[in-house]
Amino acid sequence: MNTNNNVYTVIYTTVICVLVAAVLAFASQSLKPRQEANEKAETISQILTAAQFGAKESWNDNNATIDFYKQNIASAAVVGANGFAAGELNTENAEVYSVSDLKAQNYNIKDGTDVALPVYVFNNGVTVVAVYGAGLWGPVWGYIALDKDLETIVGAYFDHASETPGLGGKIKDDPAFRAQFVDKKVVYAEGQKPFNIVKGGAGDMVNGIDAITGATKTSNRVAAAINHCPGAYKEYVLAQRAVSREPQGEIMPLCDSTAVVEIVNE
Amino acid sequence: MDKKMKETILNPLFKGNPISVLVLGICSSLAVTVELKGACVMALSVIFVTGLSSLVCSLLRKTIPGRVRIVIQLVVVALMVILVDQLLKAFAYGIDKQLSVYIGLIITNCIVMGRIEAFALGNKPLPSLLDGIMNGVGYGMILVVVAFFRELLGSGTLFGFPVLSAIGYTNNGLVILPPMALILLGCIIWVQRSIQKDLQEK
Repeated sequence: MNTNNNVYTVIYTTVICVLVAAVLAFASQSLKPRQEANEKAETISQILTAAQFGAKESWNDNNATIDFYKQNIASAAVVGANGFAAGELNTENAEVYSVSDLKAQNYNIKDGTDVALPVYVFNNGVTVVAVYGAGLWGPVWGYIALDKDLETIVGAYFDHASETPGLGGKIKDDPAFRAQFVDKKVVYAEGQKPFNIVKGGAGDMVNGIDAITGATKTSNRVAAAINHCPGAYKEYVLAQRAVSREPQGEIMPLCDSTAVVEIVNE
Repeated sequence: MDKKMKETILNPLFKGNPISVLVLGICSSLAVTVELKGACVMALSVIFVTGLSSLVCSLLRKTIPGRVRIVIQLVVVALMVILVDQLLKAFAYGIDKQLSVYIGLIITNCIVMGRIEAFALGNKPLPSLLDGIMNGVGYGMILVVVAFFRELLGSGTLFGFPVLSAIGYTNNGLVILPPMALILLGCIIWVQRSIQKDLQEK
């Protein structure tokens, strides 16, 4: 048989491609449930790591991770750009936003259409917000855990699709990079970025950390992602801060004595 | 077992080792040898890909149109690589995350295409399967040796269990970095060439 015939070549390649595609489609479909379960547990373990509950290795398997999450989560909601809750995430099923959900919201933020960003509040008062943006080679995402005051960062965790291992990959692999976030603050002030990652060192900056040597672009893009996403959380965070400060008596001293009496009487 | 079969099996392990003699596929051997566990999974993945793609290409060898030979081989290799990646994502998610892009990059590993072109297209399926597997083993062997030293000296552990770190060894950070894999690889090639004199250039 003449295998160099044009018609033969075209038919042969077509058949091979269709066959290969069929095998891959079958593999993809049949392995999907397991892969999705793994991804969900991974997402939850990243949220837990950001909230300083421990590293991924603290939990033996997917179920242990999800159970731990269920025990510690107080509430999980999605909030819109106006700062109000736009919906609930089912904590019984440990429902979380996957990376592709975050990606979809990232487009919404860019387009200026209404967003629905996840907020995870744990029993110990820690609030975890999500971050998603473009890295140098592919998407970067992560979670930032804020203390009760919704200002001080208690922890952060980042992941990426294809940053350079050993350079940009350090946002995930280098615990020292993540550790820098602890006790820094997210500051919402006019004309200022809420958070900074500074090439050459952030010094004493209250809302800034050092960039990664050799990975300035990845560092810049992580900073952009952080500012982009909690930028969208701004209204929510400001509203919650006001709520959390009220009972601590910040408003009281401004009241005159009669007003105080009235409040006491009530 | 005839002589040729024996050669097919033993040659890739030492005399024609894909890494230390042919110096193919060394980029991934630098990247995934920080820990033994990752190196072992990578080795198994490469064995799977080289073995099965050699087998399939050998089965198809008489029907493949000469002009699109490389394209067809590439499709077959890509199929195997994606299958490995999908399987790891489902059954060994943590390791798949750790090996990240390098699983996908097996497709560019010169050993795979090299063995198909050089062997599978001219031989029967069974020897081709063996040739593919043994070349994968030859690759994996070096990977595991390099990873053994890097994990032992870099992290003081083996398969995550403390060995040197248990007796107060201070981890050597340099060993963790890719250049040290290159140096170790150089040492392996040095040892092999001093044993196997015919490899030495005049």
